[in-house]
Amino acid sequence: MKTGFDNLAARLANVPWGETLAAALWLLLVAVAVLAFMATFAGVTTWVERRIAGRMMSRIGPNRVGPAGFLQWLADGLKCFLKEDVIPDAADRPLFRMAPYLVFAGCFGAFAALPFGYGLAASGIDAGIFYVSAVTSLVVVGILMAGWSSNNKWSLLGGVRGAAQIISYEIPAGLAALSVVALAGTPNLQGIIQAQGGWPWQWFAFHNPFASIAFFVFLASLLAEGNRTPFDLPEAESELVAGYVTEYSGMRFLFFLFAEWANIWVMAALIVTLFLGGWQVPGAALPDAGTGRTFWILASAAVFFMKTLTFAFLVVWVRWTLPRLRVDQLTDLCWKVFVPAGFVCLIGSSACVLIPGQGAWHAVHRVVQWGLTAAGFGLAAGLLWRARTNIKNLNERIYLKVWT
Amino acid sequence: MIQENTSKTSVDQPAAQASNEDSTLIHMGPQHPSTHGVINLTLTLEGEIIVKADPRVGYLHRGIEKLAEITPYTGFIPFTDRIDYLAAMFCNQGWCMAVERLAGIQVPRRAEYLRVIACELNRLINHLISCGTTAMDLGAFTPFLHAIREREKVNDLMEKICGSRLNYTFMRFGGVCRDFAPGLDRDILDFLDRFEKFLPEFNRLISGNEIFIRRLVNVGVIPAGLAVSHGLGGPNLRASGIDFDLRRNRPYSVYPEFQFRVPTGGSYRGEAGDSFARYRVRIDEMVESARIVRQAVEGLPEGEFLAKVPRNPAPPAGEVYARVESARGELGYYLVSDGSDRAFRLKIRTSSFCAMTVIPVVAPGMMVADLTAFFGSLDVVAPEVDR
Amino acid sequence: MQSRFIRSVRDSAVSIFEGLAVTLSYLFRKPVTLQYPDRIPRPIPDLLPETFRGIIEADTAICTGCLACMKRCPIGVIRIEVERNSETKTGTISRFDVDAGLCMVCGLCTEVCPTGAIRHCTEFEGSTSQLINLVLHYVRPGDKVPVCRLSKDSPPQGLKRNEPYRRARTAWDEPAPVPPDAARGEVRWKRRRNKEAAE
Repeated sequence: MKTGFDNLAARLANVPWGETLAAALWLLLVAVAVLAFMATFAGVTTWVERRIAGRMMSRIGPNRVGPAGFLQWLADGLKCFLKEDVIPDAADRPLFRMAPYLVFAGCFGAFAALPFGYGLAASGIDAGIFYVSAVTSLVVVGILMAGWSSNNKWSLLGGVRGAAQIISYEIPAGLAALSVVALAGTPNLQGIIQAQGGWPWQWFAFHNPFASIAFFVFLASLLAEGNRTPFDLPEAESELVAGYVTEYSGMRFLFFLFAEWANIWVMAALIVTLFLGGWQVPGAALPDAGTGRTFWILASAAVFFMKTLTFAFLVVWVRWTLPRLRVDQLTDLCWKVFVPAGFVCLIGSSACVLIPGQGAWHAVHRVVQWGLTAAGFGLAAGLLWRARTNIKNLNERIYLKVWT
Repeated sequence: MIQENTSKTSVDQPAAQASNEDSTLIHMGPQHPSTHGVINLTLTLEGEIIVKADPRVGYLHRGIEKLAEITPYTGFIPFTDRIDYLAAMFCNQGWCMAVERLAGIQVPRRAEYLRVIACELNRLINHLISCGTTAMDLGAFTPFLHAIREREKVNDLMEKICGSRLNYTFMRFGGVCRDFAPGLDRDILDFLDRFEKFLPEFNRLISGNEIFIRRLVNVGVIPAGLAVSHGLGGPNLRASGIDFDLRRNRPYSVYPEFQFRVPTGGSYRGEAGDSFARYRVRIDEMVESARIVRQAVEGLPEGEFLAKVPRNPAPPAGEVYARVESARGELGYYLVSDGSDRAFRLKIRTSSFCAMTVIPVVAPGMMVADLTAFFGSLDVVAPEVDR
Repeated sequence: MQSRFIRSVRDSAVSIFEGLAVTLSYLFRKPVTLQYPDRIPRPIPDLLPETFRGIIEADTAICTGCLACMKRCPIGVIRIEVERNSETKTGTISRFDVDAGLCMVCGLCTEVCPTGAIRHCTEFEGSTSQLINLVLHYVRPGDKVPVCRLSKDSPPQGLKRNEPYRRARTAWDEPAPVPPDAARGEVRWKRRRNKEAAE
């Protein structure tokens, strides 16, 4: 990214205010690129989620609009775009209008620090994970605004629940992230990835048992931050009609949903960055500037995308399997289980930084790393095997055509 | 790990005083995704805790009891389907039993067996919907769709039995409207074989899920005395620990010839009478219904499927109360006849209506999210409440 | 206290694992959706069982004009007008209307017909754009159809309740094709109005 900006600055060097103009143009370009990516991802994820949800329920998802229903999200977006803008009569109009943008800004701001590959990040903020944590808190303001300004008691309930949930779960998320920061030595997201390796046993998730626990704590906390089942009480369909977005329709409603689905990317990307080795390609050392750099950028981006999409699938999968927790169970889980676990993990991980580079302790550590890796991948394999026995138990056949 | 609910029933607590500044009045319904029909619960909340819950019914009143006064007896059978369309066979059976008792009509044995098969299959699919909607109210949409998929298979069977998938109109005075086609018993047994394998998978998906259990355990505990005094029946009553089942305690039809357990609450996790007990009682009743259907199909006697009955029966003047163990509880028909070919007065006693009366007693003290779980576990359907 | 906590963690983990495995397994099973109306193997009226209670149809050629169905219907869906001539013991039906919009297909009328003239067909797709068009006139307005006389050699003697009646194919049906690979996959089947009479 540095070279691109330098080229642009060089071209505009003769223009008055050239450097500022170059900076502004570059900023705009990057922002538009990220926005385009975010919009496309949010849209395509709705399609993927609906297809996966359909197959998990023994039915087909959307399959009429476009091949295998791929254009359904465009059709839905266009429909919402053309809808009448309804604002309730007694609603607080300025707040009602502003709320979707705050929620959207909270999500979009997080994209500024997320890495996409080697050298591919909108900005290499040194405060990395702290910046992301801080800027995603902006959605709390948006949700409270939406709940309050709708002039609807159900929305208010949903908004207040949502605010409580997001604020509470920032703590365990931060603690788990701190465990990783202790291991990596820097909160810079690209730095955290560079401190890991490409092979699974070099990932922070399998580095020591405390980091593994921190991985689960972080996963659950991010699910809660993103208002996804099993923590989707603020928008619980069966209880609160639609929670804080009940009164929203048309384009404003789409903004909320847009932010929610784009948040899946943020969730998955953060998990992959912090715990699963980010864009590190297994078996390849980091290149020097020069030969093979483009290939490396592409390879690292591909690895990152694959890992992130796997976790996006996990988020969708968990949504369509688990029921939701009640609000007091949710906050109890946060404060009584995840926060103590987060502290324990932080202390434990910090202690594991002291493991020396060679010697008996190092050998023990290697064994622990391989053991945890085996356990992790064994869990995934166990899930697949159990799925196979489930199918065989009902005397059905495995059916692999996903494009029906 | 997830918060365990303490088992304090609101009956033991003193009545909460609602201060006007803190409490909010909110309407749950009549249009609400989880009230299972058009029912209005007017809630007074303090924060998330319910202080007062006031059910308002009548949105689905169709005047069925009044229609009985102007419709001839046989013509009223389709109307009985609509009293509880999810468990329509029981409604048919109650009405037919009432008129048969009044008119002294004997039902042939094969017809009784066919009735039992139809009713127990209907109980099975009703519980599938009930357990599925309980899961859906708690946020798990997938088990509901799986339950509906199995229900569709039984709907196909019902289509072969009587021609309709929802409003069966299967029974007539003195028997049933048509006999089984050859090969239908094989279809029923095939379905039962598959269902036996489906239910453990359904339990693995949702009934054993720790989050689901923690949402239901010790929520909405209905003590045994309260259940009896409010006239609850069926799974609601048995989950509170009272071992009473009309099929066994007040036998009717050919139920004494079958072997089946009657599951009661108290042996599941949590207290007897909580929502989880009601849910598990329904799951276990599904297994028992499958057993009864299997015994009935394998032991189906030969004979007539309909007794010789006049086309328009005119039972002598008198009154009768006929009760059946419906999927939801006790369904009773109190019929007063004046000797003509129409009823003089019909009163239908449904257990969803009685279940609604429990809500203002048990709801105060629980949270809104708990109310959803509790209401779902009571298995209330709006048409039965309002008729 | 600690053992309860550990037990609850273990229970949660195991039950969530099992639940995830079940939903994952459904990703690899065939969906049960039947994509009506265009992606189905054969037209639905052919897939329905013969006991299916579809729209009421009346074959006025074998109707005896006894009005049993009209009296039996609990909601007054059937309207029949018969003029009887007592000397010649004949009658004509001038009107046989069935209001399909009101009918709840309970089947009570089909059970009392002595010849099986009024019966269910397996048709259920009867939607029209005007409500008045849902009243099916089985005797064209202005026509007079003679009633059928029941005798020893009359056609269908009473529809036994155990024998479901399958409707005859009418001129506007196409014979249902059974493609050779129907068992293997789905075939798009389109209904067309066929001008020639089918078998």
